[in-house]
Amino acid sequence: MAKKSTIAKSISEHIFIYILAFFTIAPFIWMILTSVKDMGEIYVYPPKWLPDQFHFDNYAKVFEAAPFGRYYLNSIFVAVFVTVGQLITCSMAAYAFARLKFPGRNILFFIFLGTMMIPYNVTMIPSFMVLYWLGWVDSYQALIVPGLASAFGVFLLRQFFLTIPKELEEAAVMDGASKFTILRKIIVPLSKPALATLAIFTFMGVFNDFIWALIVINSESMRTVQLGLAIFRDRYLTQWDLLMAGSVTAVLPILVVFFFAQKYFIKGITLSGLKE
Amino acid sequence: MYNTTPEIQEERVLEAGITYGKYPAKKSKKNKKGDLYSALLFLSPTLIIFSAFVLFPVIFSFYLSFQKWNMFGGSSTYVGLDNYIRMFKSAEFWSVLKNTAYYTFGTIPLNMGFSLLVAYVLHKKIFGKKLLRTLFFAPVVISPVAAAVIWRWLYDPNFGLVNYFMGIIGFDPVNWLNDPTAAMFALIVMGVWKTFGINMVLFAAGLEAIPQHYYEAAEIDGAGQWAKFKNITIPLLAPTTFFIMVMSMISSFQVFDIVYVLTSGGPLGATKVMVFYVYEHAFKYFEMGYASAAAYVLFAILFVLTLLQVKYMKNKVYSYGG
Amino acid sequence: MKTYIVIFAVLISLISLNCGNDNRSASNGEVEIIFWHSFVSSTVPALNELIARFEKENPGIKIKAQYIPTGDALIQKLITAIQSKTAPDISWLHSDFMEDLVEADAIYKMDDFIKGDDGITQEELNDIYPALRLYASWRGTLYSLPMEATNLALLYNKDMFKQAGLDPEHPPKDWNELKEFTKKLTLDKNNDGTFEQVGFFVPVFPAAGPLGPWTVWQFMPYLWQAGGNMVDSAQTHVIYNEQPGVEALTLWQQLFIEQKLNTFTTDFDVAFTSKRLAMAMDGPWNLPRYKDLLKNLNWSFAPLPAGPVKQATVVGGEYLAIFKQSKHPKESWKFIKWMIRPEIQAFWAMKSGYLPIRHAVLNVPEFREYLKKNPNFKVFVDQMEVAEAQPPIDYGALEITHNIAEAIERATIGKQDVHKVLDEAAVKSNLALKPSK
Repeated sequence: MAKKSTIAKSISEHIFIYILAFFTIAPFIWMILTSVKDMGEIYVYPPKWLPDQFHFDNYAKVFEAAPFGRYYLNSIFVAVFVTVGQLITCSMAAYAFARLKFPGRNILFFIFLGTMMIPYNVTMIPSFMVLYWLGWVDSYQALIVPGLASAFGVFLLRQFFLTIPKELEEAAVMDGASKFTILRKIIVPLSKPALATLAIFTFMGVFNDFIWALIVINSESMRTVQLGLAIFRDRYLTQWDLLMAGSVTAVLPILVVFFFAQKYFIKGITLSGLKE
Repeated sequence: MYNTTPEIQEERVLEAGITYGKYPAKKSKKNKKGDLYSALLFLSPTLIIFSAFVLFPVIFSFYLSFQKWNMFGGSSTYVGLDNYIRMFKSAEFWSVLKNTAYYTFGTIPLNMGFSLLVAYVLHKKIFGKKLLRTLFFAPVVISPVAAAVIWRWLYDPNFGLVNYFMGIIGFDPVNWLNDPTAAMFALIVMGVWKTFGINMVLFAAGLEAIPQHYYEAAEIDGAGQWAKFKNITIPLLAPTTFFIMVMSMISSFQVFDIVYVLTSGGPLGATKVMVFYVYEHAFKYFEMGYASAAAYVLFAILFVLTLLQVKYMKNKVYSYGG
Repeated sequence: MKTYIVIFAVLISLISLNCGNDNRSASNGEVEIIFWHSFVSSTVPALNELIARFEKENPGIKIKAQYIPTGDALIQKLITAIQSKTAPDISWLHSDFMEDLVEADAIYKMDDFIKGDDGITQEELNDIYPALRLYASWRGTLYSLPMEATNLALLYNKDMFKQAGLDPEHPPKDWNELKEFTKKLTLDKNNDGTFEQVGFFVPVFPAAGPLGPWTVWQFMPYLWQAGGNMVDSAQTHVIYNEQPGVEALTLWQQLFIEQKLNTFTTDFDVAFTSKRLAMAMDGPWNLPRYKDLLKNLNWSFAPLPAGPVKQATVVGGEYLAIFKQSKHPKESWKFIKWMIRPEIQAFWAMKSGYLPIRHAVLNVPEFREYLKKNPNFKVFVDQMEVAEAQPPIDYGALEITHNIAEAIERATIGKQDVHKVLDEAAVKSNLALKPSK
């Protein structure tokens, strides 16, 4: 009896979660199907799910419309660089906040948190000015360096580091290990899930950034995918088929990475409260 | 220096820093300064970049909030509290604030409830777990521009799939994006869809970390599904929930991208939210001073709300021994 | 410590490494002109041809065209570029923010070049459609020159006209016919209370959004057709809330509400293509793609219906200005001067689908041939004779535009009283007109 009800419950859970997944993904499926329709078919009512003929050549057209190959290389190069850099800088800073005792620690931490509360729109121009003073307008550094420090990343990692039992480090301290060794040999290996989470969030954020890339990059050769996609819309019209094909191409790589990497970042991240 | 390991060198540097300080290194002094020098080393990469590209701009915009600044020419004049006073007197500002609160408090419960539910169900034995998780995460990845383009299609009163499906069930078509009451709802739905995947990942991780033996013990005591959820899952998830709360609050108060591309603040200003207002003043009217003042009001609100959450959660988290 | 040194070294090298390539002048004595534009990908091939032709005819000058996403993005880009002294030599402009550029002393007066050694004659200048010259100026001084023109005409579906018992060769001539035809073309085919087919699209978009000015731009012809204008000639106060403005907005309100119009959230061309819309205002920029997209439809363009006072349409176009930060203003001017030559204008119009900016183009033989073969394109070219422009507002142009857009939104979507919304908008706009902004 009890077993029967468990099975029934499991089935209903399955039905529930699959229906939910369908509705979540429906807009995305719509996007993929639109990307292989021709313009005439996009404009049909009642809406048609499947095209009469799959126009995979839309994808080829995207790559003909602009040097998207180059844009992808740029986006991936910048996103990888920022992600790796941010993992290093954030884990060091988070370690300082989580483990080291120094005067002004809490104030500094709250300043970090506070900066997340100022909208980007007003800090964008002063940030750009700094970039200009450094002579970095229209360069890869402009896309990379500002991304190397992240209050969100420090917050996320600090919360995780706080949950790692201190006893694990004490043995290493007895052996005379330095703080760097502790971070590298003990904290980081234990924090793979948190680091992986931060990695996927950062990668995604950089890959999808539009406005910062827009204002700092002029040259064709340094454009990113998101800047490239803008060429399918202008004041007067939108090239739906190409925009959709381009957007699908931009999303899939991240989803594939997510699919295979999820075991690292879901297993065992825990976040502690703001311990002080 | 030449024949020691880097680790030993570091200890020496640290010690030197302390020894040649103002006072000779006493045990108590060392404790007081704590790990200041190693902390500086660990923080420096972040601090340098952070100061240049985050802290300076933030402070600069605070300065601008007391200025009238010509964005093209760069000249500026001090106007005291004028920007703030003008804002508090403007009826639009208050309606924008109301819209923002509406969006935030509409989104957060839905978003957190939904993401916790999905994470909780996926924590059980479910066939195709990995694929499902990827599907639920997909909306997060899609760029806001592309996402809004799709949703504008879905919400189209004449062609949209939303009305099409609603018609099948027998509902009258709704003019989602042009009806002032429906538009905010439409925006919230899209906002939840777009962001719940992030929270789902964080909740999933939090659930994974709860030791199985707690549940086993509860089962022996005869606890049911709901009792286990209420007495074990919820309290032990508190740290995760706290992090998600803080981050959700900050990000929903600052919602901008999807508003810009989905409704552009319309119809009749019904979805004009704070950051959109900031944006409008900065890049439509070129009033960076006023925009900065609005940004700082937003900051003040968020800061107070975050502090309240910290105070509230600190008691909670500690009372559960987290 | 080793780790730390490595990390720091990477950071430092990253900071000192300079991979920015901002060399504006090519090494072999050639001058390179940076030109910012926002043409969509389908126009880019035509632009490349144009530039290739210029470079061939003007050895020693290279044009580097850089695509900037349109609308708000262009403004953000220009602001940051001017601040950092990385402005292009030539850029597209919208007259909306010309005031700010002039006040910041960012762009040259066109007179500096027109009256210079390499200038053009007054007759040549006068050959450019007056409406375009008006848009290109601020406070009576020319600060830019048009690269191409556009205007609005009426797109309609001939088959739907037939089905509704209307003569497909007789598009609406005036407001009364527009109202009458719209009513006949608006159909509730299955009697469910919603219209499956809509007669005429009234373009209302959120005032606060990037499409707010777009609404106003399309509203202007109606204001002029009724004999009105936005601001009085002395620019002391706005006059759009006077009788003509009321008439124009009432027309929009009636059409909007009677058709239970929802402003299509997707572009109206979707509705037109899927045979749910009979008439809409549209520009020449869509002509190239309509050949393919509307191949199953029997469609045509006609001049905009005339109003109670006159016939009118609105001009648009892209305006080129030379930035003071340019190191090669003379060469930049050379490009603009070349661009407005009649044969180049004809070449560009035929390649890109935009309208020429001056009368003289009509005398270019190839262009006359082209017009014969493209009657829809000719509708637009002919309409240039009745095309008008809003005289640039000296101060607060953006705010005034926003106020009108808001009034239109309130009258149509919000169904509020026309007099009330226009008067309220006028009060706000009059404050913005004053120079001490």
